[in-house]
Amino acid sequence: MTAVDDVSFSMVADAPEVLTIIGESGSGKSTLARMILGIHAPSSGRIVFEGEEVSARVARDRHAFMAKVQPIFQNPFESFNPLKKLDRYLFMTAERFGRAGRGNVERVCDEALGAVGLSLAEVRGRFPHELSGGQLQRAAIARALVSRPRLIVADEPVSMVDASLRMSIVNLFSRLKREFGLTIIYITHDLATAYHISDRLIIMRRGQIVETGEARGVLSAPKHPYSQMLKDAVLTPDSAGIFRSSVQSRL
Amino acid sequence: MSAAPILQVRNLRAAFRTHHFGVRRDVPAVDDISFDVRANEIYGLAGESSSGKTTLIKTIAGVIKPPLELVGGSARFAFLPDCESLAQASPAAVAAIRWSKLAYIMQGSMNVLNPVRRIGKTFEDFALRHIGSAGDFQQRVEAHLQRVRLEPSVLRSYPHELSGGMRQRVTIALATICAPDFIIADEPTTALDVIVQKDVLAMMRDIQGAMGASILFVTHDMGVHAALTDRLGIMYAGRLVEEAPTDVIFRGALHPYTRHLIASLPRIGDRSERKSLTGVPPNLANAPPGCRFHPRCPLAVDICRVQAPAMTELATQHRVACHVVTGEAA
Ligand SMILES: Nc1ncnc2c1ncn2[C@@H]1O[C@H](COP(=O)(O)OP(=O)(O)OP(=O)(O)O)[C@@H](O)[C@H]1O
Ligand SMILES: Nc1ncnc2c1ncn2[C@@H]1O[C@H](COP(=O)(O)OP(=O)(O)OP(=O)(O)O)[C@@H](O)[C@H]1O
Ligand code: SF4
Ligand SMILES: [Mg+2]
Ligand SMILES: [Mg+2]
Repeated sequence: MTAVDDVSFSMVADAPEVLTIIGESGSGKSTLARMILGIHAPSSGRIVFEGEEVSARVARDRHAFMAKVQPIFQNPFESFNPLKKLDRYLFMTAERFGRAGRGNVERVCDEALGAVGLSLAEVRGRFPHELSGGQLQRAAIARALVSRPRLIVADEPVSMVDASLRMSIVNLFSRLKREFGLTIIYITHDLATAYHISDRLIIMRRGQIVETGEARGVLSAPKHPYSQMLKDAVLTPDSAGIFRSSVQSRL
Repeated sequence: MSAAPILQVRNLRAAFRTHHFGVRRDVPAVDDISFDVRANEIYGLAGESSSGKTTLIKTIAGVIKPPLELVGGSARFAFLPDCESLAQASPAAVAAIRWSKLAYIMQGSMNVLNPVRRIGKTFEDFALRHIGSAGDFQQRVEAHLQRVRLEPSVLRSYPHELSGGMRQRVTIALATICAPDFIIADEPTTALDVIVQKDVLAMMRDIQGAMGASILFVTHDMGVHAALTDRLGIMYAGRLVEEAPTDVIFRGALHPYTRHLIASLPRIGDRSERKSLTGVPPNLANAPPGCRFHPRCPLAVDICRVQAPAMTELATQHRVACHVVTGEAA
């Protein structure tokens, strides 16, 4: 079966950007993310990072590649080992990838946690199941920041957090891009945050790109019928009661 | 006039009790919460991340295990009138109503599917004894999957062969196929694209309407709340801080946290900066005294720092917990 079919795009190192991928559930977004991260090899075609094919790069030096390309996965409950305390996990990441040196491990982790509205004091000694979904996802983002990567592949990173925090996390992505030249691939179902922070947008359906372009242009005036359907299906505060039965009127 | 409640929650309290090097730490994640869910309504819960929404509904559903403890209060379902709360009911009593009366779609439930069982087998495990003969069972399941836009072929798949959104739809189909009286759903559509999400929500509304069932629906997606829910409760730091019919929350929220939440919603076509709250979300193990929102509240006055505001009914069906709004601060 083909989950991702003939997809092409490129990103330029000197022009950091937020590239957003939106699309049908099951259209291959996560599969594409896993290929960029070197977890799956493509059955045909090439993915090149800094001039070298990802699979070759991973085979040569997995560790160096992982320090530069960090994932944030769709489901925070999946991204942590349930038996390992979170602070240990973060410290290990900082020791393995960090540029800070051993003495600074705690400070580096606390800073990364601070960037996502958490603190070391709050996660110290706690197992993943002892945090709420949103806290755990923020910890996953902090973990990805610890190694100071060049590229972050974030697969639905904010689907489990409240609107206010959601905005502060995507704004954090913009800031990381501006201040540290970080490039971000942001996979999401949330068209509104995509509108706010993306430079470029890709819309996928059934393994293929149906529309791509400058993000706000595409979202303001989508051309492909599927993109138009997507935009029309977005629920907003103005969608009041579109599914509501007659309960209200009977009260 | 209001319909009779199918769920009555009264002064419910639950806490995580942990011991660290001999020091007991209490996380009061559900603190004195009271509300009703009426027959035939969809009650939405929103609020800050880690404000206790999942803990609240776990307590209501009786899915409590250490370190989570019921501290006090009750959560009574109309179909089990003698039972103060499922958290205290016998496992047999809870099992007897699971799926047929009460279905619970857990947060992150796309991972609760048994990884070594094909989806079709899981349907048999859960639903076969509640519905129909083996003969038309397959057909019923396929027809139901169709309603969440899934092909019958998923029945032959293992969970890891499906995308996040497909697994989420499988769990929704599992929870709804027996047409329970009460559905508790915690972030059930987070992994769905907006088109599929709209279909799935319409399906849940259909089932709810046709069966006269009630749904307690937790999500951060305020667009979903606007479209789907009849009433909305807003939580902050373990407490319910506002409750009103959904359109009133969107048009005329009164609590400063709710107002911030509504104002922070991003929109396509509007690039204006969204203000974030000052300060950090409260650490519940060491919650601020008085109103828990006071360190971040733009309206806070002296009394807020010492006394917790009580939920007060300010207008018909509109309750708020805020000293300033209720005028007690004057
Ligand atoms: N291990 C696997 N074996 C077989 N098929 C798979 C496997 N993993 C994914 N698939 C299939 O590949 C397709 C794409 O899945 P993918 O997870 O990439 O989708 P997605 O776009 O991320 O969807 P969602 O928005 O729901 O997360 C789906 O049809 C899925 O069933
Ligand atoms: N096992 C546990 N031990 C200690 N504290 C816990 C445990 N599980 C959750 N908590 C804490 O209880 C509080 C409430 O968590 P809960 O999961 O109910 O939040 P939530 O409102 O559902 O958040 P989200 O929207 O992020 O899912 C959080 O502060 C969390 O850290
Ligand atoms: S009680 Fe005081 S601190 Fe709390 S929300 Fe009202 S004004 Fe703000
Ligand atoms: Mg995915
Ligand atoms: Mg939760």
